[in-house]
Amino acid sequence: MDYLQSIILGFQVALQWNNLLFCFIGVLIGTLVGVLPGLGPVAAISLLLPTTFHVTPVSAIIMLAGIYYGAMYGGSTTSILVNIPGEAASVVTCLDGYQMARKGRAGPALGISAFASFIAGTLGVVGLMLIAPPLAEMALKFGPPEYFSMMIMGLTILTFLASGPMWKALLMAAFGLFLGSIGLDNMTATARFTMDIVELSDGIGMVPAVMGLFGIAEVLLNVEHSIKRTVFETKIQHLLPTLRDWKDSLWAILRGTVIGFFLGILPGGGAVISSFVSYAVEKKVSKNPEKFGAGMIQGVAGPEAANNAATGGAFIPLLTLGIPANSVMAILLGAMMVHGMQPGPMLVQEQPGLFWGAVTSMYIGNIMLLVLNLPLIGLWVRILKVPYPILFPMILLFCLIGAYSLNNSVIEVLIMVGFGLLGYLFKKFEYEAAPLILALVLGPMLEAALRRSLLLSAGSPLIFITRPISGILMLISVILLAYPLVPWLRRKRAILPQVSDEE
Amino acid sequence: MAKLNNDQVGAAIWIAVGVAVALGSLRYGLGPLDSPGTGFLPFLAGCAIALLASIGLTLSTLKQRKGAEWTPILRGVLWRKPLLVIAALCAYALLMKPLGFLLCTVLFIGFLLRAVEPQRWPVVIVGSIGTALGAFAIFNLWLKAQLPQGPWGF
Repeated sequence: MDYLQSIILGFQVALQWNNLLFCFIGVLIGTLVGVLPGLGPVAAISLLLPTTFHVTPVSAIIMLAGIYYGAMYGGSTTSILVNIPGEAASVVTCLDGYQMARKGRAGPALGISAFASFIAGTLGVVGLMLIAPPLAEMALKFGPPEYFSMMIMGLTILTFLASGPMWKALLMAAFGLFLGSIGLDNMTATARFTMDIVELSDGIGMVPAVMGLFGIAEVLLNVEHSIKRTVFETKIQHLLPTLRDWKDSLWAILRGTVIGFFLGILPGGGAVISSFVSYAVEKKVSKNPEKFGAGMIQGVAGPEAANNAATGGAFIPLLTLGIPANSVMAILLGAMMVHGMQPGPMLVQEQPGLFWGAVTSMYIGNIMLLVLNLPLIGLWVRILKVPYPILFPMILLFCLIGAYSLNNSVIEVLIMVGFGLLGYLFKKFEYEAAPLILALVLGPMLEAALRRSLLLSAGSPLIFITRPISGILMLISVILLAYPLVPWLRRKRAILPQVSDEE
Repeated sequence: MAKLNNDQVGAAIWIAVGVAVALGSLRYGLGPLDSPGTGFLPFLAGCAIALLASIGLTLSTLKQRKGAEWTPILRGVLWRKPLLVIAALCAYALLMKPLGFLLCTVLFIGFLLRAVEPQRWPVVIVGSIGTALGAFAIFNLWLKAQLPQGPWGF
């Protein structure tokens, strides 16, 4: 099947009325969670996963993906108007976006952020379409050792990019691997660490874990303080950027797109890191770097393009290798498995309708977001004015319903509350939860790949370094792990931006 | 003796967790290397946790010698509020089946609105009943989630 036929097939699927509806719902909810501080795409996707059980797999994936890239659009609105990032990838947008708003240029800031998101999001999908199929074909040659090394590399990159000491991030990953091993052993069906609780036979659910660690823990942290948000009181006008604005932003958008897309592909990379890198690059290439932070439009356009392009890139390892690049993709992987799909190299060949339908729906979703977002800015501003003390009980209620309706089980709810408390303590003691989630999801796959590899090699761990692809991936992991021993590398990592848990 | 700092306390707890996981894995059997057993991966994970925590303990002890002290994690925050929220969440989980979704949700939302950051009573009453009915309509009636019914049938 050539590209043209595939794209036509994709649009035939994506343009079905029910898929259009779910795409619309996804991007709308995504924008909403992006706008609302304290509720990111990770929590929103986990929350809404149970609601997709009654729809077709392709509609479910279209909606859940829409939430992810929709959140990237929405996050900038809060950054620009309130100076609080709506979600983690919009942290950088606060710097110049809010300053633009203070100077009476909230309209162009919101406008260029929407257009940059649209351009980068669309180009990111083009990249995804071009790279994913050949990569999937190549991945067919991967055996268990390559998969094992790839997953180890993903975990290593994520721990490398995490904020704080690396031992803490690695410890979180190891703890995640242990949590992932709870339940029935995939190979022998022996129950492990289940404490005779039937609900634990299937393992610790990713949804209660994510909602607890990100949703509940975030609320617990927020209620510790009396939060008063001030929405920038100004009449928002001239949303369409001027010719001058376009001239200033165009290259920033294109650079942000390329940076975001390629950093998005890397396991452990993603939207947050790419927005920071894009901002740093814009500052570096600018003739007026001293003006950054005082309302430069490039400081909004570049990072917003980068975080949207990264969403397209992040789908590549998931759809072609079955390996999630970040926590959001980890949840999408779980969602696809719930719907009976196995993401990986065979997905393009076995379920072309689903693959191409999901990919082409992202074009439609990006257009919907552009059309929706500018007229709806007034609505988002009104939602932002809802006081947090009224909002947080609803966030908690959605988490409770989401956890309960997975299996109609109170145990799942208690697991979620337990993870909420754990997440709260992690924040207090400065441990990042993102490596834990990625390891929790990858755990069972990683274990299967490890045991199969050792079976293949008659117990020799050398199989991971003697096979070329696996060896290269392992070498990258070793280099990243060895960094604390090299002082100049350690200094470099120290200036890396903090990667938020929402990634 | 100087007071332990946060990372030292955290690392000590993690060492205990790691050792417990590794020992717990032994009863599932590690198996030979050419055919790893059920306990193999959790054993490795437990050892890794204990090892990394030991590294953390060593590093934080070195930091302690340079003056890194215990930072109270609840200083300057309204810690009673998270406590109230956790209590409400646990109560909700335990009472949602006996009381049913609607009544339990009204009580839960009402409690949070009144106890955590006190709202006026009309806001509490309208907010709790409205949220419960709205959630029931969306999740139970529209999305067909099977939310628990109390003895009163709702």
